[in-house]
Amino acid sequence: MQDLVSVVTLGSVYLLFALGMSITWGTIDILNFAHGSVFMFSAFSASLVLEQTTLGLVPVLLIGVAVGALLSVLIQVLAFEQILRRAKDRRSAEMQILIGGIGVAIIPLAIAQHHTQSNPFGLNASSFTVESLSLGGLRVTNIQVLTVVLALALWAAAAVWLQRSRQGLALRAIGVDAQTAALMGVDRRRLALVTMAVSGAMAGLSGVLFTYSLGAITAESGDTLLVKAFACIILGGVGSMLGVAFGAYLLAAAEVVILTQTNGSWVEAVSFGLIFLVLLVRPAGVFGRKEVRRT
Amino acid sequence: MSTSVPQTGTSGPPGPAGTTPVLELRDVAVHFGGVKAVDGISLQLESGLIYGIIGPNGSGKSTLIAAVTRLTPLTRGELLLDGRPVHDVAASRLAGLGVARTFQTVRLLPDLTVRANVQIGADARSGDEAQQRRGPAGWLRPRAASPAVAEAVARTRLEGFEDHYPSELSYGTQRRVEIARAIAMGPRLLLLDEPTAGMNQTERAEISALMRSMRTDGLCQLLVEHDVQMMIDTCDYVFAMNSGRLIAQGAPADVVQDPAVQEAYLGRKWRDHARSE
Amino acid sequence: MSDFFSSNLVLVQSTLSGLILALSIQVPLRMGVFSFAGAGSYGIGAYAAGILVLRYEFGALTAIALTVVGTAVIGFLLGAVISKLNGLYLAMATVAFDLIISVVAINGGELTGASTGLFGILTDFTMTQMVALTVAALALVAMSEVGRLGRRVDTVRDDPELAASMGINVRRYRLAAFVVSGALGGLAGAMNVLVRSTVGPLDIGFGLIVLALTMIIVGGSRSWKGALIGAVIFTWLPDLLTVIGEWQELVYGVIVAIAAILLPRGIYGVLQDGWRWAQRTRRDRRAAARGGPVVDDDGGLRPQEDEAAVLAAQAADQPHRELDQLSSRPQGAS
Repeated sequence: MQDLVSVVTLGSVYLLFALGMSITWGTIDILNFAHGSVFMFSAFSASLVLEQTTLGLVPVLLIGVAVGALLSVLIQVLAFEQILRRAKDRRSAEMQILIGGIGVAIIPLAIAQHHTQSNPFGLNASSFTVESLSLGGLRVTNIQVLTVVLALALWAAAAVWLQRSRQGLALRAIGVDAQTAALMGVDRRRLALVTMAVSGAMAGLSGVLFTYSLGAITAESGDTLLVKAFACIILGGVGSMLGVAFGAYLLAAAEVVILTQTNGSWVEAVSFGLIFLVLLVRPAGVFGRKEVRRT
Repeated sequence: MSTSVPQTGTSGPPGPAGTTPVLELRDVAVHFGGVKAVDGISLQLESGLIYGIIGPNGSGKSTLIAAVTRLTPLTRGELLLDGRPVHDVAASRLAGLGVARTFQTVRLLPDLTVRANVQIGADARSGDEAQQRRGPAGWLRPRAASPAVAEAVARTRLEGFEDHYPSELSYGTQRRVEIARAIAMGPRLLLLDEPTAGMNQTERAEISALMRSMRTDGLCQLLVEHDVQMMIDTCDYVFAMNSGRLIAQGAPADVVQDPAVQEAYLGRKWRDHARSE
Repeated sequence: MSDFFSSNLVLVQSTLSGLILALSIQVPLRMGVFSFAGAGSYGIGAYAAGILVLRYEFGALTAIALTVVGTAVIGFLLGAVISKLNGLYLAMATVAFDLIISVVAINGGELTGASTGLFGILTDFTMTQMVALTVAALALVAMSEVGRLGRRVDTVRDDPELAASMGINVRRYRLAAFVVSGALGGLAGAMNVLVRSTVGPLDIGFGLIVLALTMIIVGGSRSWKGALIGAVIFTWLPDLLTVIGEWQELVYGVIVAIAAILLPRGIYGVLQDGWRWAQRTRRDRRAAARGGPVVDDDGGLRPQEDEAAVLAAQAADQPHRELDQLSSRPQGAS
């Protein structure tokens, strides 16, 4: 049963992180490879602030959210918009955005590495402390509960936003057919900025929560998480909200099983192997819409 | 369904008895899901003649070309090239069998010069003399263009443009490079998908003259075109398509006056007209 | 010269292995195959050569030869499985492949030295051999950029459908990209481990992809010359940047980001454009002196009109008309 707690909390971290990536990829067609960098840098910024002053949980979370959103918008304006403006077709744009994301991600990483000398950093200076609770015989920490609640709440909110609101409708229209969306008078640029901000905020939030629950992370933590998030997204199917949640918890479950059954060093291979398997067996994912792609 | 198609079983103009057609289609169909883009077309093309296909937009002309060039899989039917079934071979093998085509849109490589773009066509020739003459160390002298390129460039009147890049040329000229590339392949069957779109009247006349000059080499050409005058001036025989089927065929001037053809174009227009109101 | 050479030996060695690594990712990219599998092949190559030398006492050249053949075969198998995927999906599958190699290295137990890696891989591998192997690999890659093969590679990348119509077996070329990438990655990894005498799991992670991409993006993605420029810059720059001091990582990052965003074809692409522009100016001046081609409405060039065709067009005296204009009946409300 204790394993189930691990699955749910780990899955929630993956969900929160992958959610932001899924939204930008599924709607504005941006697979943001700087997402891991944003995740890490938000937590890093919070730890910097905490070096100066002591803050409670909520202000620290807000710092993470604000830094994440700001950084993502910055990346969108300075990098992705520039690339899209110059790219000659969708195929080359896709490629350049991936490479541009990898390039941009170096900058926050370099700053954090420089400052921490590549040592792990944490949020211990916060006045909030992680405490263990006992719920019906299960040990959980307060931060685990918070992570699960926030992940599910934000996931539901994002799903409703995409499903119901005007902006969400417009975004889905872009995701399905960019040209038609443009004809419908959708302001692509503004929507893309909003989407990137939301996505970045989620990355920042998950960065702070993840750092709290692990105690400390390193500057490089974002890279592995990036590939795991990709695994979650394609497992469920690009663009599917149900799919990304399914992918996140399935990946977490698989990892926990491997962790408990072996000595643990194979855990990282699970997500990579899953990516392979899904791409070969069912490239559209479990819940994905069928996509017609040119060879 | 119009009854303009002769009911004699075979279609196509009378060729010399006993010769094998360059291209034969037997009941070719291409369906996309429920959409019958091409639905049971049979025809024969003889060497040394120019054929045309007309039909309103969406009538299946381009799908037919894609099917003949194996870029789109057939739902049913047979393709025979010089009597040999080719409906199962890979698209890339057709070039070696003498099939060349141009595309509806300009598809030149932007980073290559006109000469190199045309050379891509000559590269597809199995026994390109220039390649053989240059021998195993030929790659050391990449600039030596083959005679096939020089001839294609001359025929399309592109002399002086060999070192230009496509982006420097006018749209009509870019289309000539496309045609030159196809000619450089030394084909037996040349498929031209709206080759003169975007050209002015003089340029069209030039392309028409070029096509007619190539008939003497025994080349079989299939032209998809909207310009009726170009069709009448150029083609020996015309097929009219609508909704994936052949609705008429014969001498160009007769086909354009055919009531079924008029109906296909104007009926469609009328329906569109009615719907938009 | 030899003084410079010996005092900078480590940097020269890094440049050479870095260059081959960059090529292992550039070659597939140049064919439009978005594969990062070269980094994984580098990892396999480094470990395989190390193990062959350390555990089975093979000579340097034999170990390298076996490794390269092995990684080429692995490249072929990988390609056969995933070359049908497209764009991002292919890219991520190959990233996953690279990372799996790292995990395998950590879990290899005694064979791979687990998380500490392999040490003391000492051989008779000389600098001359390394230079010779690098030049040979470079020459083979350079051959694929000129003449008929070069044009075919360009066509496969820019327009696979056109390539098929031009008699090019696109699938075969894509598969070849995986094989060549595997062989080059294996070569780079093997050479590097033999001159460094050590390899660990941290040497073959995600950072390898970033390093290779960095070289290609900044140097130029369409030619081995670009990879060479990139390899030289990014092995020597950190050394020169010590002047800038502790912020070298950041400067590095900014350079890459700017190149990725503003110069998608890299420094070599800029040089190429400059050269083309100069050539064009010279040619246009000559053409203008001769009374050259006509500038069309769209600003592009076209040949002067053929008199016979002009006469023919006039004689026909028929305006351009489409079949749906044949009738005088009113037309659609378009």
